[in-house]
Amino acid sequence: MKNKTNLFLFTSLVVSFMLTGWLFYLSGKRVGDLSVNEQQDGDFQVCNEDRIFQYYNLDTDYKGGKKAIKQEILSRLESLDFNNPGLITARFIVNCNGDTGRFRYKSTDLDLKEIKVNSENIKKIKSAVLLLQHWNSPEENRVFDSYYVLNFKIRNNKILDIF
Amino acid sequence: MVVASLLTLYSVIIIYFLLFSPAEKRYNIAADLQGSFLSQNLFEILKFQDPENDEIYFEQSVAFNKRGEYKKGFELLDQAVDLNPKVHLGYRGYMKLRFLRDFKGALKDFTRLDSLTPNFVDAPWGEDINFLRGESYFGLKDYKKAKAYFEKSIETQGTDWVDIQAYVYAGICEYKMNKPAEAIVFYQKAIEQSKYTVEAHLGLANIYLEKKDIKNAEIHADLAQKYYSYKRNDGYNEYLNEVYKKDIELLKKRFK
Repeated sequence: MKNKTNLFLFTSLVVSFMLTGWLFYLSGKRVGDLSVNEQQDGDFQVCNEDRIFQYYNLDTDYKGGKKAIKQEILSRLESLDFNNPGLITARFIVNCNGDTGRFRYKSTDLDLKEIKVNSENIKKIKSAVLLLQHWNSPEENRVFDSYYVLNFKIRNNKILDIF
Repeated sequence: MVVASLLTLYSVIIIYFLLFSPAEKRYNIAADLQGSFLSQNLFEILKFQDPENDEIYFEQSVAFNKRGEYKKGFELLDQAVDLNPKVHLGYRGYMKLRFLRDFKGALKDFTRLDSLTPNFVDAPWGEDINFLRGESYFGLKDYKKAKAYFEKSIETQGTDWVDIQAYVYAGICEYKMNKPAEAIVFYQKAIEQSKYTVEAHLGLANIYLEKKDIKNAEIHADLAQKYYSYKRNDGYNEYLNEVYKKDIELLKKRFK
């Protein structure tokens, strides 16, 4: 009898622990979270790894908006050649100091299927975005980190638009 | 024994909630927790239990698209469209227009939606379909067609319901087609509807400046500046005709 009770206790404990742990894990993970990769991200730091907001939660933006981004970097990227029409979508973090890092990219064709993009071109896109120096100042940004999304629209093998 | 029973009860309640509580309740919780993996798992369970329910696929897609994961987002949205095209085609077109700037793709969805709902003016995501078509042609720089759809939107919506930006866009189209006089008429109509229409003031200031009518140009540039906080913007994306402080500053510099 005692053995059975112990088994019951043990099983219920394990099951409830596993469930709680699973729920805890699920509620902490979010669509679009970017995990750290020191090799790729260098010394880029966020202020609070557990509290990175989405751009639309904080109105994270560049001074002068997307238009200013386009004006500052499109001309540097217009010479790049691509193979397919579609979108290159960069997702990255604007940290609490207004610095950008942890860049990750997804590329899709016009049917929204994933495509491969020449890594040299991706590098050039990244260096162009790193030139942008006027992200929401820390005061405006209320000292939080947030994710940002920037799309590079490819048509006729060239970057046509950034938004 | 008591502890074990309580722990078991706890587990049973969680499992009951995840698998057997009313689907609508779980759907609402999943929607409220948008973006969390818990929400995504709830959607997966709901889809498994009710694979024909288009709303689940639609709602699940939202977090992916807002966060730039369009492949996954549109996979889900496409499933929603396949299950119930009348309800989701308009939204998919809207997303292609505003989130992807895929103007041709957006137009395809709007046209297909129209064919499914004859004699009915659809309103994808609450915006008039003709306005959205106008915006798509505007994006394609086909200003003639764009203007025609903005006019159609103005006509079918009537002055009470029309989006003021339909006048603004129609004005920009006229301007782009070298018809500044016609553009002025549209911009004025926008301002008649609301004096806070920054985009129309800026458009007018620019045309008056080109006509060397500095007095009117200054009036409208000042109004654009004064009402700047009323400009049309959106937390997710930049509008195609979005105006910025710098546009007004640059225009004002040209007065000197």
